[in-house]
Amino acid sequence: MTAPRVEITDIQDGFAKEGYICNAHIATAIFLARNLDKPILVEGPPGVGKTELAKATSEYLNLELIRLQCYEGLDEAKALYEWKYGKQLLYTQVLKEKLGDLMEGAQGLAASMDRLHEFDDTFFSEEFLEPRALLKSLWSEDGSVLLIDEIDKSDDEFEAFLLELLSEYQITVPELGTIKAKSSPIVFLTSNNTREIGDALKRRCIHLYIPFPDADLETRIITARVPEVEEGLRKQLVSFVQNLRDLELKKVPAVSETIDWARTLVLLHAKELDSEMVRNTLNVLLKFQDDIDNIDSDINALTTKARSAAE
Amino acid sequence: MSQVLSNFVRALRAQDVRVSISESVDAGRVAELVGFEDRQVLKDALSQVLAKTDDEKFAFNECFDQFFAFDQFKPPKPASNENDAEAESEQSADGEGQAGEEGEDQDGDGGESEGSGQPSDSGSALGSGGSGSDDRESAAEGSEASPDRDLTALLESGDDVELQGQLAAAGREVGADRIRLFTQRGLFTRRIMEAMGLDGLNETISQEQRSGTSAGEARADNLRELREAFRLEVRDYVERQLELYTANAGRQLREEVLSKINISNVDRRDFKLMQALVRKMAKRLLALNSRRKKKSRRGQLDVRRTIRQNIEYDGLMFDIAWKQTKVDRPKVVAICDVSGSVAQYATFLLMFLYSLTEVLPKVRAFAFSNQLGEVTDLFAEKKIEEAIAEALSVHGGGSTDYGQAFEDFEAIALDDIDHRTTVLILGDARSNFGDPRADILDKIHDRARRVLWLNPEGKTLWNTGDSEMKRLSPHCDRAVVCSSLNDLERIVSDILRTAV
Repeated sequence: MTAPRVEITDIQDGFAKEGYICNAHIATAIFLARNLDKPILVEGPPGVGKTELAKATSEYLNLELIRLQCYEGLDEAKALYEWKYGKQLLYTQVLKEKLGDLMEGAQGLAASMDRLHEFDDTFFSEEFLEPRALLKSLWSEDGSVLLIDEIDKSDDEFEAFLLELLSEYQITVPELGTIKAKSSPIVFLTSNNTREIGDALKRRCIHLYIPFPDADLETRIITARVPEVEEGLRKQLVSFVQNLRDLELKKVPAVSETIDWARTLVLLHAKELDSEMVRNTLNVLLKFQDDIDNIDSDINALTTKARSAAE
Repeated sequence: MSQVLSNFVRALRAQDVRVSISESVDAGRVAELVGFEDRQVLKDALSQVLAKTDDEKFAFNECFDQFFAFDQFKPPKPASNENDAEAESEQSADGEGQAGEEGEDQDGDGGESEGSGQPSDSGSALGSGGSGSDDRESAAEGSEASPDRDLTALLESGDDVELQGQLAAAGREVGADRIRLFTQRGLFTRRIMEAMGLDGLNETISQEQRSGTSAGEARADNLRELREAFRLEVRDYVERQLELYTANAGRQLREEVLSKINISNVDRRDFKLMQALVRKMAKRLLALNSRRKKKSRRGQLDVRRTIRQNIEYDGLMFDIAWKQTKVDRPKVVAICDVSGSVAQYATFLLMFLYSLTEVLPKVRAFAFSNQLGEVTDLFAEKKIEEAIAEALSVHGGGSTDYGQAFEDFEAIALDDIDHRTTVLILGDARSNFGDPRADILDKIHDRARRVLWLNPEGKTLWNTGDSEMKRLSPHCDRAVVCSSLNDLERIVSDILRTAV
């Protein structure tokens, strides 16, 4: 067995090839999840790459990504499976004529019923089952990456419903019995912390908290994601965003916004930051008018600071 | 799972990190997987299976660093004599009876014979006696070391890693993780040193001393210094254990007591803790109530959703949807008596309400003693401690007049009270024999969703003297005693739970 440190570095490098730059802490979580067969609960502020992590994992491991977006009112019919009612109805209609042939020779009601019973399983077979995200990932032959996005938006009942899946990788369907995973998927649950996730769920998961990256990591992320940005500008804009996060804002810019901003600046052929440019593009970074108004007076200072930090 | 890990889990629990059994099993698997060699990997990995909230992660990081701290063994410094004296006196103050022996050794009079020294720890110092006598023989030859636990050779070799390893092993052997009290430090230090072969070391020192040669004396001096430095090291280790396992025990006990005792009896110095406690309780309530509840109104068909829902059944309506109503978050109006006798209760009630802004977005607060004024803005603008202090200085102090207060309230805010409002009145209803204007309270009651009276006094004191509970309580939906933080928590959680 190779040393865990080596494997973790491998994961990091593999992710880097997919354009996802992460630190050892995140890679450790992936390493643990694969070796312990446990789901990962990813928490952190919006826009730090929680969903990206699942995508990168699926690309890195070359597994299918199955995504389930949670929302209020999500129930098992939408998350797990549904019967193809239309198809069932259609088939019964079509097969009506065949019914006479089937019943031929049956003596009395009881015998006819017995005959029918031989067929009713066909209507509740996998043939008529419409698999949704969760079932799809259990059925997947060579494993998959299952992303259950924004679990905090779902209802308590759904959270409880997930427990069986998360601890045993199996699910019980009344009509079919217990379905076990053909090979255990790698499960990611993400949460923005709009509400506290239940203890039972947390207990079953590896808990990964992704904070905002430090300047060094963020620079590397920008390098990977927006390679067109020149080095000087890259340092400046990262330093600008890092300073911005220390201010009191309604919503601090996340990594995804830094990336967007970098792309914007590339589009504008910017070579370095100047306050006019910053002022004009600030709406890419800040999503509240209040925030934009509030820092308007600080833009000059922030820009100078960013420029001197980058040197 | 290894002993080390289960000790670590215990230490975590002592720091308020909730670790379930299944999580500690996970920790065992993680440790097996990543091993103990690479600390950063171990830390990352363990933190992901053991600590599952922000606070817990923070506590985990501290605890991990402390628990797996391996300070390098410090070589003796000449200046350490002072420390010795200090440590020595501290130890005698412990009154454990060990210090005396230590002092004896220190003198180097060499009079210590086997068995005379340690009457109290014979049990835990198992085996040290044996190794000690080995040491004596070997030490006489001057060089050869006995295979295990030769403290002399170990100290002289200066092998820090090995020393730390043995220290930890000895610590486990004597059960240093079971240390509970500050005063046990001396005892455990002594026990660990003995388990590591202190007797042998002492023996060597006195023999060298007696040998009379200058080389021998020099070695004895050197060893004595090493022993002293080592003792400090062990004490450090023991203190670390104490810190790890008991740091929070005292606080937890105090919190438990504070949440039960009558608020007016809380000491001023405990206020910080009380505030933390209120925040903690509020957080718990938040977690329970953060989701907006819905209630199905059975009997009212939601036609639109039913049709949409049944398209897949070929339009056969057999999955029926009922109309739902969202349960409204209650609007809370708190009217607090802030005259001397009840001010502290008001402080904590308001603290509670304002810690819950996420689920109670509309809290209006009014304070009165003889005149009533709104203090809502005060709380929005300032920190809660300052706001309360200011509210008390502006509105407190006068002699209580419920009649006047209700009149003022009627003028300011009666119009804003509607069927969603919960009115909390906190006070002892002692109106200095003035008319309490129960008629206004009745008006409030008519308009509000409900009126709760929180009285800090015990029920037996209601209606005694100038207390007007008899006249006021009929106009309340409920009048309850509210004297401790636990009472407060119960009441607030009750407010939060209520549906439309």
